[in-house]
Amino acid sequence: MGEGSVLTRRRRARAAAAAPAEGAPRPALLLGSVAVIATCGLLYELIAGTLASYLLGDSVTQFSTVIGVYLFSMGVGSWLSRYLGGALLRWFIRLEILVGLVGGASAPLLFGLFAHVGSFRVLLYGLVGLLGTLVGLEIPLLLRILQGRLAFKELVARVFTFDYVGSLLAAVIFPLVLVPRLGLVRTALLFGALNVVVAGVSLLSFEETRPYRRRYLALIALSLLALGTGVGLAERIQRYAEGEVFQDTVIYAQSTPYQRLVLTGNHRGELRLFLNGNLQFSSADEYRYHEALVHPAMQDRPRASRILVLGGGDGLAVRELLKYPQVQHIQLVDLDPAMTKLFRSNQLLRELNHNSLHSPKLTITNADAYAWLRQDTARYDVVLVDFPDPGNYSIGKLYSTAFYQTLRQRLRPGGLVVVQATSPYVARRAYWCVVHTLAASGFSPVPYHAYVPSFGEWGYVLAQAQPGTWRPDGGPLPAGLRFATPQTISEMRRFPPDMAEVPTDINQLNNQALVRYFEEEWGPYGQ
Amino acid sequence: MSLPRRQFLTQASAGLAGTLLAGLVGSVPGCAPARSAVRGQLRGAGHALGHRLRDLKSLPAATRTEEIDLLIIGGGISGLSARRALHELAPARQALLLELEPGVGGNAASGHNARTAYPWGAHYLPLPDERDAELLAFLQQAGVLTGYDPATGLPHYDETMLCHDPAERLLLHGHWQAGLVPEVGVPAPDRAEIARFLALIERLRRATGPDGRDLFRLPLDLSSTDAATRPLDAETMAAWLARHDYHSEYLRWYLDYSYRDDFGVPAAQISAWAGLHYFAARKGRAHNAPPDAVLTWPQGNHFLAEALRHQGGAGEIRPNTLVFSLKETTDGRVEALAFDNATQQTTRLRARQVVLATPWHVSRHLLPAAPALAPLHAPWLVANLTVDAYPGGTGQPLSWDNVRYDSPALGYIDAEHQALRGFETEGPYSLTFYWALPTDPADPIAARRHALASTYEQWLTLVLTELDLMHPGLAAQVTAAELWVWGHGMVAPTPGYVWGPARALARQPHLGGRVHVAHTDLSGVSVFEEAFHQGRRAARAALGSPAS
Repeated sequence: MGEGSVLTRRRRARAAAAAPAEGAPRPALLLGSVAVIATCGLLYELIAGTLASYLLGDSVTQFSTVIGVYLFSMGVGSWLSRYLGGALLRWFIRLEILVGLVGGASAPLLFGLFAHVGSFRVLLYGLVGLLGTLVGLEIPLLLRILQGRLAFKELVARVFTFDYVGSLLAAVIFPLVLVPRLGLVRTALLFGALNVVVAGVSLLSFEETRPYRRRYLALIALSLLALGTGVGLAERIQRYAEGEVFQDTVIYAQSTPYQRLVLTGNHRGELRLFLNGNLQFSSADEYRYHEALVHPAMQDRPRASRILVLGGGDGLAVRELLKYPQVQHIQLVDLDPAMTKLFRSNQLLRELNHNSLHSPKLTITNADAYAWLRQDTARYDVVLVDFPDPGNYSIGKLYSTAFYQTLRQRLRPGGLVVVQATSPYVARRAYWCVVHTLAASGFSPVPYHAYVPSFGEWGYVLAQAQPGTWRPDGGPLPAGLRFATPQTISEMRRFPPDMAEVPTDINQLNNQALVRYFEEEWGPYGQ
Repeated sequence: MSLPRRQFLTQASAGLAGTLLAGLVGSVPGCAPARSAVRGQLRGAGHALGHRLRDLKSLPAATRTEEIDLLIIGGGISGLSARRALHELAPARQALLLELEPGVGGNAASGHNARTAYPWGAHYLPLPDERDAELLAFLQQAGVLTGYDPATGLPHYDETMLCHDPAERLLLHGHWQAGLVPEVGVPAPDRAEIARFLALIERLRRATGPDGRDLFRLPLDLSSTDAATRPLDAETMAAWLARHDYHSEYLRWYLDYSYRDDFGVPAAQISAWAGLHYFAARKGRAHNAPPDAVLTWPQGNHFLAEALRHQGGAGEIRPNTLVFSLKETTDGRVEALAFDNATQQTTRLRARQVVLATPWHVSRHLLPAAPALAPLHAPWLVANLTVDAYPGGTGQPLSWDNVRYDSPALGYIDAEHQALRGFETEGPYSLTFYWALPTDPADPIAARRHALASTYEQWLTLVLTELDLMHPGLAAQVTAAELWVWGHGMVAPTPGYVWGPARALARQPHLGGRVHVAHTDLSGVSVFEEAFHQGRRAARAALGSPAS
């Protein structure tokens, strides 16, 4: 993550010190604090930069802007230090508590609010600016406290020595120890606590703090308690964060009554969504998956006005559907309200789905697709079936002849269904089982597949309610597609020998043949 | 609150009921399981009202009289089937059905909780014999059978009503294996013996007697009169097994389990004919399911009971009504005295023809000079548990039917197994336990009295102990337990019952040929198909008899 480039920081503390005052006790203690607060200060900056590149991608831009804002804010803080007067030690103690709380809360706040705020960048730069300002106050204040206790040349030499030593320490332990061992959230909380401890040590070491010592001790204890509680919650926020489950950093995780939603990011700006640990999409290549899901069916449907999408609460299939002006109404049925809410509200995800979940043509229903379909009375021109893979007996019911027969009754004459059907390369029998099950349910299936780098070879089945109603070159494709062309669509229907049709059972509720194939074939891949 | 085991046993041994329960709990190791507060209550079929038959003087005299064309007494499957047949064969005639309970369905009762319906009794129908045109017609009308395959001619069933996969699992040697026939970790000689038995059944399934009829068929009265097979009714199944060198504990457990599940008693208490008929009479086939498939619904066979009721026309059904007297009148009617438990009044019903579809312990009170038929009914416990945690374990996941090897109970059904939804629920789970209580054939009344005297708390401890043996720690996750005790469960085909003289005699029309009996007690095998045909036979007799 380019830590080297980050270390260009630091021309702190423009606030020059005045002449040394009379000797006073414990300059060594204050100089030790310099090392600690320097370490903390650099760490907050590193955490914010890393987080920004995870959440927003494009690490060079994110680090550059985060560092710029941070350093500038430190300048603001340094300038503001001139307005602090009176009991400087008391100001310093206050400042350390404040830096500890804001710095400690920075990472949990950014992670926790990522999914819930309209504009994440405002939150990010606001927090970085606040933290920079506070950190910028620290060294000028310390110089002024120490100014009477050391000779000026000694003072400047020592303060900046400890400052830079602390920075080096931070720069080395951050990538080597803290990120791999603790993760970003706990690192922030831990170093926030260190700032608060500096406040506590200063409080106890100087006689002049006696009048307000008790009050501040209570404040410090409360702050440490808050940060400690944060560590406990961090476990939940980032249960899998730096574990072995996900390669990338977990930027959002939620356990809903239906599934566990995990969104990860990396420094390439690639977002990935996992449901119960299974990859649903990567922002790097999801366009391939969704163009292949939508366009082969839609290119031949100039009059397809009513569309049903089952699953697909990420709005990415809807995004592709909205490229067709003939589409008047899209009914989306996704089990999990947390899923559709996330993709309706989060700025980055809205950028990804082109705000499709806010389209006036769209109706979102959060319900179990099977239960919903059994009571639905409307009819559709095209139905996109984008369920999770048939990895358990419950989901297996959504791939059964019983389900497909129910679905067929919801089609207008000449209607089409497209079903995502796992990988014909990895799970060849599972894939062809879906094809054969659709055929046994009265559909006339057209199998096809596409290469999606994150998934590998991926299989779909286009199922016609009446045979011969679909043509591969039926009409023009929308402008701006990156994968689907008339040529790629025609290639999609060719299956090389290693994915060619194999005989299979039909998947029924009373045999769950598909789940068995799927388990056997995906089992070796540790799915 | 949990009862400490010692205290429980002390209390339990104080009463007769306790002796029975202590014996059951005592058969399992360990202590009563830890548990939290459990909601629920103990119910049972209306034996209090039914038992007033024993004390007729307590019932009031008739205050009014009604003229009835066709009267059906009893709203179980037999009575409902008779009502449907009467409506089908003589739609112009009026039929009145009287039922003791608040609702019809008999053993095919069901309950429901916040999540799902669940059965209180009979809960599945094996694929019917494809030659059973009347039953298939009913199922087609009910939407269960959706058509016939043009190529094979085999029936096609509504897939949602076929038992979904995974259907059955057995906890054996600490592992949940697929299917109920013991396999995993079973020694080779035992497996060979099981295979030998199953091969014999396969032969018997196809075998016919000299009269050209199947040796074993449902309804059982269509079975061959073959002189070589009928004598099997005289010996016990256990004796027959010993005689044919079947000694494998695993096989014997599997057979005992099967018989207890259908008849309430093990191989030692049923006839060999019935024991073989149990397996060999199952020859249903379907176009879209294997022969061993079953049809089932969240509410169990209450689905079928409702379909029968629905197809039975608009004739009145009068619940909460006890018939306590039947008499032939001089003007060619049958006079029934019916006590309405709601109004506490008695009505004199004068009917042309009567279908008496009550269990024999009721019928014999109503029929003068009733033949000496003595059906054995084991008491049953059915418990619906609401459990907050997933009943997992190593091996096959939660299935429709979940059974523990060597358990005194019969296992549990996942009531939501047939739910049509695509997500895996996180609970709570709704599990229906079945338990046929051990019954001494020499003194069946003792077992029933014990069963009816036991308290909710005692039953609950029993069920939770069993649950904990299947899933250690799960008893603590039970939040509700609804219990139902059947004083009279299903009839057991004890030796001599099916082909003995008493059953033949009891099936004859009574009271001048105007009362036609219909009940599985008159078959000896309490399954839906028998009840369905009992009802039809009685209905045909009622319509075809000269007096009508």
